[in-house]
This record gives sequence, structure tokens and C-alpha cells, in this order.
Amino acid sequence: MEARKIEELIGKYNEGFADPVEVKLIEQLLETGEIELTQLRELNLLDQQLLKMEAPSPSIRLDDQFYSFLADERRKQRMGRFSFKMPDWNTLLPRLAFASVVLVAGFVGGYLYSKPSQKLEVYELTQQVSELREMMIFSLLERESATDRLKAVGLTSEMDQVSVKVTAALFKTLNQDDNANVRLAALEAIKPYSKQSRVREELVRSIKRQDSPLVQIALAEFMAAIQEKKSVEELQKLLQNENTPKEVRSKINESIKVLI
Amino acid sequence: MVKVRDGDLDRLGMLFERHKRPLYGFFYGLTREQELSEDLVQNTFFRILKYRHLFRGEGDFKAWMFHIARNVKHDHYRKNKVNLKDDLEKWQEKLGHDENRSTEMQQEEEQQMLSMAMDRLPVEKREILLLTKYQEKKYQEIGEILGCTEGAVKVKVFRALQELRVIFKQLERSH
Repeated sequence: MEARKIEELIGKYNEGFADPVEVKLIEQLLETGEIELTQLRELNLLDQQLLKMEAPSPSIRLDDQFYSFLADERRKQRMGRFSFKMPDWNTLLPRLAFASVVLVAGFVGGYLYSKPSQKLEVYELTQQVSELREMMIFSLLERESATDRLKAVGLTSEMDQVSVKVTAALFKTLNQDDNANVRLAALEAIKPYSKQSRVREELVRSIKRQDSPLVQIALAEFMAAIQEKKSVEELQKLLQNENTPKEVRSKINESIKVLI
Repeated sequence: MVKVRDGDLDRLGMLFERHKRPLYGFFYGLTREQELSEDLVQNTFFRILKYRHLFRGEGDFKAWMFHIARNVKHDHYRKNKVNLKDDLEKWQEKLGHDENRSTEMQQEEEQQMLSMAMDRLPVEKREILLLTKYQEKKYQEIGEILGCTEGAVKVKVFRALQELRVIFKQLERSH
């Protein structure tokens, strides 16, 4: 249809003079894309008013229902993970490695009791155990299974003192792991080292890298617990982010109140 | 949503926070019942989780969500053997009670009247206008939800707006 005729038709419709045949024609032109709804003045105004109408808000009951449902699902997911399966070599190998570590540790213990004078040898053996354990941690952290990665993080807490390499691996897990539970476990494992300024700085930097509400809340609470005032700026950025859930915002606000 | 599909359930909380209000607005616009609308939102998210493996990750998540929301609504009415027409009659009774309406409606008279006109619109026309509002006028996505072309959606919106205008004018005259 000619552009001029379409304009005339729209004009007629907008003045309220279009007959049923012309209205049918407008429908056809809308369907083919030759006319846009925005060109139909009165209808467009009505449409705009509809868009402006405030959306109603659900009550807190919906949040309660949803989050308890989500917690149930998480529990089911965890139970599924820990259900019994015949171990294959992939799962058996780290276990064997762990058993070897325990065996070597036993030898170290035996040495310590039987030959207390040979401190150097004991020291060397202890070093070897730590190195073996670290190797196992790094290997488990690289695995696809979140359960294995959780085990790796758990192993770090059994060590008296972790090396810089292990803390770096824990921070890598805290910042990059796909699973929020593993990230939370990494944060727990890092907590004992928070007296070190380097660790505190890394924790502050980690805030912006978190998108799981659980980890965001855990970090905000820990920042308040260790009184890390340098974290306020990062926490405020989270508050300004429109994707941050309401519950997280309220926890962050509480933490900021404690910090400032 | 892709992360939820791959097992990261924490992300479902984020999706819920982002979309609960438009979804609730959609159900409330159709049913005018607070508790029922909240239950339907909850059921929609339950199905999103249950059928997360079916989300291909290519299209718009919101369109997929509204597609599920419509199914939830249909199933609710089928299960309860009540159809929306009956419900519509129920609320038209409610419309007579100014006390009920005044608490629900917004202050401005025009908005009140528009809300009233929406309530008097047949359910399928109300639904298309609610989808237009909460799907932010993305006609192509609405077409995917309804299983029709973008052009057909525009015609449906046109017809719904025309009828809404007629009802709106009738209400204006009676005030």
C-alpha cells in the first residue's frame, strides 16, 4: 500500500472516523509491519498509561516460601552428592594418596618418638609430608567434582600452617570456583590467616568478585567481625549494584554500620 | 539461568529477586488474589527448577519464564475446575464494593479507572496487555510465549487496546 494512503488511513483512525473495513485494513498493516502501534495516537497513549501503572508488590510470605523451598532443594542436592556409589579409579586415587600421607605421617611420628635426637631427619620428613599434602590439595582443587574440591579445602584446615602457594590456591577458589559451597568453605579456611595484612587485602579485593548472595553475606559479616574498614568502599559498591538481592543489601548495611 | 541449569542453585535466588515482582504483577493482574498470585509465582519457580535442563540458553529467560507461568496458570484453573470467566464474574461483583476497590487501587482517578477497565476486559485480552507490560513490549518474545508471529501479537494488542479504550470511555461517562 502507498505510504500516502497509509498516512491518510492513520489520520482517519486517529480522528475517530475509521469504519470497520478500514479498522480491518489497519490490522492487516500492523501484521505486516507497515504500521506500528505507536502511530495510533490514542491507543499509544493508553498503552503508555498501562506501562506507567505501578506493579503490585508481593508480601514477605512469598520470600519465606521461596527461600525455604530453595533451602530444601539445596539439601536434596547435597544429599544426592553424598549418596553411595561404587568408587572408580578417579575417586579412589585421591583416597589412596590420602592414605599414603597418613602412612608417612605415622612414620614421622614413630621417628619422633624413637629417635628424638635426629631432629634434622624428622624435620625433612615433616617437610615431605607437607609437600605431599599440598600436592594432593592442588590436585583435588583442579577436579570437576565439587565434593573433591570441598575435600581439598578441608585438608588445608588440618595443616598447622599453610604455605603462600596454598593460600593463593584458596583465594583462587574463593574468587573463581563455580560452586558457592566450595567458595564458602575456602573463605572458612582462609579465616584463621586473616591477621596477615596481605590476606585481609585479598579478602577485600574478593568482595567484588562474588555473585553468590551466600558468599557476599559471609564476606560482609567477616569484614565486620575483623573490623576491616578498608572493605567499606567495596561493600558500598555491592549496595549500589542493582543485581544485589534485598536480603544481601540489608546484611551489608548492618556490616557497614559496624565498620563505620 | 545457564548456571542454575548446571546445578548452581544459589543463582535461582538471584533470578527470583529480579523477576518476582513482574511475575507477581502478571498473576495479580489476572486473578486479583494476593495469596493465589504468590502461590503461582512459587509454582513457576518450582517448575523453572524442575525443568531447568530444558532451558537451552539461547533465548530470552524472561520469555521462557512467562511461558512456564502461563502453563502454571492454566494448570491451576484446570485442577481446581474453575475457569477464569467464573473468576471474572466474582471480581465484577467485587467491583461493586467501593471499599474493596479503594484499598487496591491507586490514588489518581485516571489510573483507578484504567485499572477498573483492565478488570472488565476479557481474560485473554487482559493477558496480552499484561504480557506487553511485563515483557516490556518485546512483541517477538511474546509471540514465542503465545506460539504466534510478532505481527499476530501486534494485532492482538491492537484489539485489546481498542476494547480497553471503549470500556475506559464508558467508565469516564458514568463518573
